[in-house]
Amino acid sequence: MPSVAVEETRGGPSGRALAQVSARPEAAFLSAEDRQRAFERFEESSAQRERPGRYWKIDLDALDLSNYDPEIANPGNLAEVDMPPHDRVVVTDLLTASRRHPDVFRQALGSALGDAPSKFAALARAFASGGAFVYVPPGVALDAPIELNYRPRTGASFPYTLVVAGDGAQCTVVVRTVSDATGVLSCGVTEVVAGERARVDVACVQSLAPDAVAIGTCIATGSAGAFVHFCSAQFGARLAIEALEIDVDAREMDANISLLFFPRDEQHVDVLSTVEHRVGDSRSDTLVKSAASGAGQARYLGNIRIHPSAHLSDARLKDDALLLSRAAHIDSVPALEIAANDVKAYHGATVGAIDEALLFYMESRGLDPQAAERMIALGFFEPAVERFPASVRAELRDALEAKVKK
Amino acid sequence: MSSERGLRIRGLRVSVAGNEILKGIDLDVEPGRVHALMGPNGSGKSTLAFALTGHPGYSVDGGSATLDGTDLLALAPDKRAKSGLFLSFQYPAAIPGVKVSNFLLATRNALKTDPLPPAKFRQLVFEKMDLLDMDTSFLGRYLNDGFSGGEKKRLEMLQLAVLAPKYAILDETDSGLDVDALRAVGESVGAMRDDASGKDTGFLIITHYPRILQHIAPDVVHVMLDGRIVTSGDAHLAQTIEREGYDTIREAQSANA
Ligand SMILES: Nc1ncnc2c1ncn2[C@@H]1O[C@H](COP(=O)(O)OP(=O)(O)O)[C@@H](O)[C@H]1O
Ligand SMILES: [Mg+2]
Repeated sequence: MPSVAVEETRGGPSGRALAQVSARPEAAFLSAEDRQRAFERFEESSAQRERPGRYWKIDLDALDLSNYDPEIANPGNLAEVDMPPHDRVVVTDLLTASRRHPDVFRQALGSALGDAPSKFAALARAFASGGAFVYVPPGVALDAPIELNYRPRTGASFPYTLVVAGDGAQCTVVVRTVSDATGVLSCGVTEVVAGERARVDVACVQSLAPDAVAIGTCIATGSAGAFVHFCSAQFGARLAIEALEIDVDAREMDANISLLFFPRDEQHVDVLSTVEHRVGDSRSDTLVKSAASGAGQARYLGNIRIHPSAHLSDARLKDDALLLSRAAHIDSVPALEIAANDVKAYHGATVGAIDEALLFYMESRGLDPQAAERMIALGFFEPAVERFPASVRAELRDALEAKVKK
Repeated sequence: MSSERGLRIRGLRVSVAGNEILKGIDLDVEPGRVHALMGPNGSGKSTLAFALTGHPGYSVDGGSATLDGTDLLALAPDKRAKSGLFLSFQYPAAIPGVKVSNFLLATRNALKTDPLPPAKFRQLVFEKMDLLDMDTSFLGRYLNDGFSGGEKKRLEMLQLAVLAPKYAILDETDSGLDVDALRAVGESVGAMRDDASGKDTGFLIITHYPRILQHIAPDVVHVMLDGRIVTSGDAHLAQTIEREGYDTIREAQSANA
């Protein structure tokens, strides 16, 4: 009886629910043991983020997810695909990928996440179903973006996107998590494995309903000369937790992260970005533009670690936060750990309100104060918007404008 | 109505952070005329410009200012612009992320009731840029962001030309300009005054150095010292200042006092 199955997954992403999911044929691309191990890791590990304080109100280690029941048929698990047809590029779900492309799939799945994934990545792995597998074979360069849209409905969904770019391959992948449904938990992973001199741009855009919980992990590993660029825009949800990590573990890699987030009302956004320069002769560039209005709360931790042997690394982190109301708060911490000495590392961070001098300049040219503020705030985001794939810039600008207007 | 035309400033007293800077300014800027406001650094010229345009940091403690009969001091800064006042800033603000082209269009649409079709607008902007020796690539750059001093002043002049206000205050537009840039600015203002859209514009050209006045000939020259207009005259006054500096005027003042 289907009602029994639903009944048994009540109580959120629990061990019981996991057993239920693991037993489903759709889940066969990951073993029950794998899932169980991941779930234990989720339960036992800490999110390793700061405790709640004066501004930030939510303890990430004590999230109550019991209201979000996993459902394997939740469309939030399975991507709608939009891309021009291509006879060599594969875009399919994870189960199909595991059957039709077992070698590539097996080798890639979890290779960036590693044996000790972070708390929420472990949860996403444990419950992964559906998902999306993108494979761009060696030497294939795709101009048009591959668009993947996850549209979760009420309950928990665990979208897992795996992008594999062969040596010299090029692609742009847009991953949207978008829904008006209430009572949504989305906890996903976007895992990128980039071959030698591959070029991979991945943009994640989250616009869930105001009561949703959106959790995302973007993680990448690459081979020599690979270029990886993660873009992430967090607009919706009452709580958004986003972690992005690029492991620079091959020579001449180029790692880039671009972030946009904008909590307003009571929204909380927690963003963590990490670039691990394990191998030298590599470059990274992280750009963060955030704003907060109403009682919106955000915190950002930007890690750049240059390991002792990563000579001639060149790392850059720029992080600007704009406060649009008195109760809004953005806690922004760039953390550079540099253990090699012949490296270039730059970081710059600003937090502040709109500069009165800019406002007056614009008003003196005839713009009313609201229009001036809007223009300044939208301009503030523009350098980050322009780093996103062209196909999403217009929607980003619209979303930002709607946020600023309020 | 015509009797009311002009930018009329009477007994204007302005303080900044509690210090009285302007101690009663009387000044009339007539439509279609070029007035120069000269004075040494710190005499209060920029303070007058900011007080007239409504900068929140400048408090008007007394006096009046009307633009073609409209009480400027009762209006918010954007409404002052809409009534026809323009200030070319001594130090224009840089606004990252806002493209010059978008800003020009937004301000023109805010100020004029007859929105130009995009092609017409572009043509207008290109013409004005040509006069200012500005490359059209400026339009795609962020407003004043990373601009040199000279580029910023040229962009101020471009906005002046595009917005064609009734009264324009140019605050030290000449400072930081090389000879070519200065000539371009002079030609641009000249072209504006030759054009129907700018022939009635009244100019108040603020400078502490008379160089710019060789390119934009003033009808009247006013001299400000310590927050007061101490003397006014024709273009010869500027030449006297060029030769002798402000000392003679200052001495004459203290002798009078
Ligand atoms: N924002 C300000 N804060 C404090 N003092 C100011 C400010 N602006 C101007 N002043 C003072 O007012 C006086 C006149 O300045 P200003 O109007 O800039 O002179 P000018 O433009 O003629 O060089 C100076 O003594 C200056 O120090
Ligand atoms: Mg000045």
